Amino acid sequence: MTITIALPSKGRMKDDASAIFEKAGLKIVAVGNERSYRGRVEGLDDVEIAFLSASEISREIGNGSIDFGVTGEDLIREGLSEADARVEFCARLGFGHADVVVAVPEIWLDVDTMADLGDVAADFRARHGRRLAIATKYWRLTQQFFSSQHGIQLYRIVESLGATEGAPASGSADIIVDITSTGSTLKANHLKILSDGIMLRSEACLVRARKAEHAGDPLVAKIIEAVQGAVA
Amino acid sequence: MPLINLPAFAADLLADFEQLGTLRVDTPVIQPAEPFLDMAGEDLRRRIFMTESETGKSLCLRPEFTIPVCLRHIETATGTPQRYSYLGEIFRQRREGANEFYQAGIEDLGETDVASADARAISDAIAILTARLPGRKLDVTLGDQSVFEAVVAACGLPAGWQKRLIHAFGNPAQIDTLLTRLSSPQPVTGLSAEIEALLTSGDEATLIAHLDETMEATGYSTNASRSPREIAARLKEKRALEKTALDGRTLSVLREFLSLNMPLADAPAALFAFAEKSGLTLDGALSRFDARVAALGNAGVDAHALTYRAAFGRPLDYYTGMVFEIVIEGSPAVLAGGGRFDRLMTLLGAKERIPAVGFALWLDRMEQALAKPQGEAPQ
Repeated sequence: MTITIALPSKGRMKDDASAIFEKAGLKIVAVGNERSYRGRVEGLDDVEIAFLSASEISREIGNGSIDFGVTGEDLIREGLSEADARVEFCARLGFGHADVVVAVPEIWLDVDTMADLGDVAADFRARHGRRLAIATKYWRLTQQFFSSQHGIQLYRIVESLGATEGAPASGSADIIVDITSTGSTLKANHLKILSDGIMLRSEACLVRARKAEHAGDPLVAKIIEAVQGAVA
Repeated sequence: MPLINLPAFAADLLADFEQLGTLRVDTPVIQPAEPFLDMAGEDLRRRIFMTESETGKSLCLRPEFTIPVCLRHIETATGTPQRYSYLGEIFRQRREGANEFYQAGIEDLGETDVASADARAISDAIAILTARLPGRKLDVTLGDQSVFEAVVAACGLPAGWQKRLIHAFGNPAQIDTLLTRLSSPQPVTGLSAEIEALLTSGDEATLIAHLDETMEATGYSTNASRSPREIAARLKEKRALEKTALDGRTLSVLREFLSLNMPLADAPAALFAFAEKSGLTLDGALSRFDARVAALGNAGVDAHALTYRAAFGRPLDYYTGMVFEIVIEGSPAVLAGGGRFDRLMTLLGAKERIPAVGFALWLDRMEQALAKPQGEAPQ
C-alpha cells in the first residue's frame, strides 16, 4: 500500500517540515523540477509526498485522501468537527508556533477575563441594540470556546478573512479572535489578549488520518516513530 | 403541499388543536437566519441548515416554529390574546437521527392571566400526549427562573452578580463555576498609575474624558462600540466589588435552593419553608408560583404527579419564567418542551410587551414511543 504524506507547499513551513523529515531519516526529494508539487522519500518506494497548501492539508486529511500531513493544529481543529476522532496528532514539530487568542480593545480597562466579556456580552444588546460582534476566521474554535467552555452565547461572528486585527478600530466588529505569534500586530492595533483568552497554543504537527488499514502497517509505524524520534 | 410522510396521528393532533380553540398557522420553510442566530446565539449556526440568497442575505431552513410564528404575529399586526397552533417540518443538523422531522405545538400570545396561561400550556401538552400515546406513563418536570431571580435578589447580591447568575441559570456546570469564582475576591489589576489615580479620586468625569482622549488618539471611534462612559462605569463597579466575595452562608442558601427537587404539589410549602429558614423575602415570586399550582389544579392536572426541580431552566436569553418538559417514564427522549418567553416578542420587534407561553411536541419521538410495546421505555 502506498502511503501519502502531504507537506506544506511553500515558505518557512515547507523548509522546516523538510528539515524535520530529513533529520528523521526520511529525506525528501522533489519529483521533476524544484517547484514540482510531488515528491518522494529517498529509499522508500511506497511513500508519496504531496505538496499542498496548509489549509488543503487539513481538508484532505479530514476526508482521508492522504494518510499523513504536516499542518498547524489550528487549521485541523478549525477545519474538522470532532478532530480527535478523525485524526491522530502523532508529533508536535516545534515550528509554526501561533496562539489563537481572544483580543479586545486595550481601552476596555474593565475587561480582563472571559467572565468580564460574558458580562459585557449579556448587556450588549440592551445597550447597543445589537449583539457583541466578533471578527474572526475561526468560526468553529470561537463557538467551542465561547459557547461550550465559557457559556457565552450572546455574540455574533463577523467573518473576516484578512486584517482581522483592524476590525475593532474600523468599527466592523467589537473584538477579535485571531492567531498571533509575537503579539506585536495586536499591540500595534491597540488590542490586548484576555488573561484567560488563549484558546489554543498551536504549532505544526504531524497528523495521521485515522484509517483502519493503517493498523499493523509497518510503514505507518515507521514514519511515526522516525518523526517522533527527530523532535524528541 | 401533499405530505405523505406525516405521522399517522397528525390528523388527530390537528383535531386536538382545533378543539382547543387555537388558530392554525403555517410559516415558510425558508426563513431569514438572522432572528434565530440573534435570539439563540452563534452556537445555533452549526445546528441549522444555512444558505445565502443571491443578494447575500443569510437564509436557513426553519429550525423551529416559535420565532416564525411570533414574527408572523408581529407582521400581520394581529391583536392579542391569540393562541396559534402549528404542525410542520423542521430542519436541524443532528449527529444522530434524521435531519428533518415534524414538530407541532401551541404558542399562546398576549394572555395577561399568566398563571392560567402557564397552566393551560402544561395541561394542553399533557392532554395531547395522553390522548396520542395511550397507556404510557408521562413524567413532567417543571422549573421557574423567576423564583431563582427572586432568590438571588433577596440574597442582596450586587446587581452585576445577579445578572451573571440569572444568565447561567439552567446550565448546572456554569452555575457551579460561577459560584466557585464568586466565592473568592476578584482584584482589579493591570491598570496604569494614571487610571488608578483617577479611579481612586472618584472623579468619573475626568476618567471618562481620559478614556475618550485615548480612544481618539488610538483611532477608536467612541460611539461604534462600548463608550468611555460605559467602560468607566463598569470599571468603577468592578473596583467597588473587588474585595467582596460570596459569603459561605449565601453560598449554602443558593446551593440549597438549586438542589430542591420534589412533587410540584409540595413545592409551594417547601419554597415557603426555604424562604423562612433562609430569611429571604420571596413573596411576589412565591405567590405567583402558588397561583400557577392552583391554576393547574383548576385545569384538572394533578400536581402530585408533576416534579418541580428548582435548578431546571433553559439558558436562553428570552425564557423568563416557567419551563417544562415531558418524557415517558424512564426514557430520556423529550416528547414535549415548553415555557414562558415574555421577552421574545419585544426582542423580535413588537412595539409593546406581549406575554407569551407555548410548547412544542416532537412528533418523531412520539412515533418512536408508539412503535414500542406499551410499558417498555423507548431508548
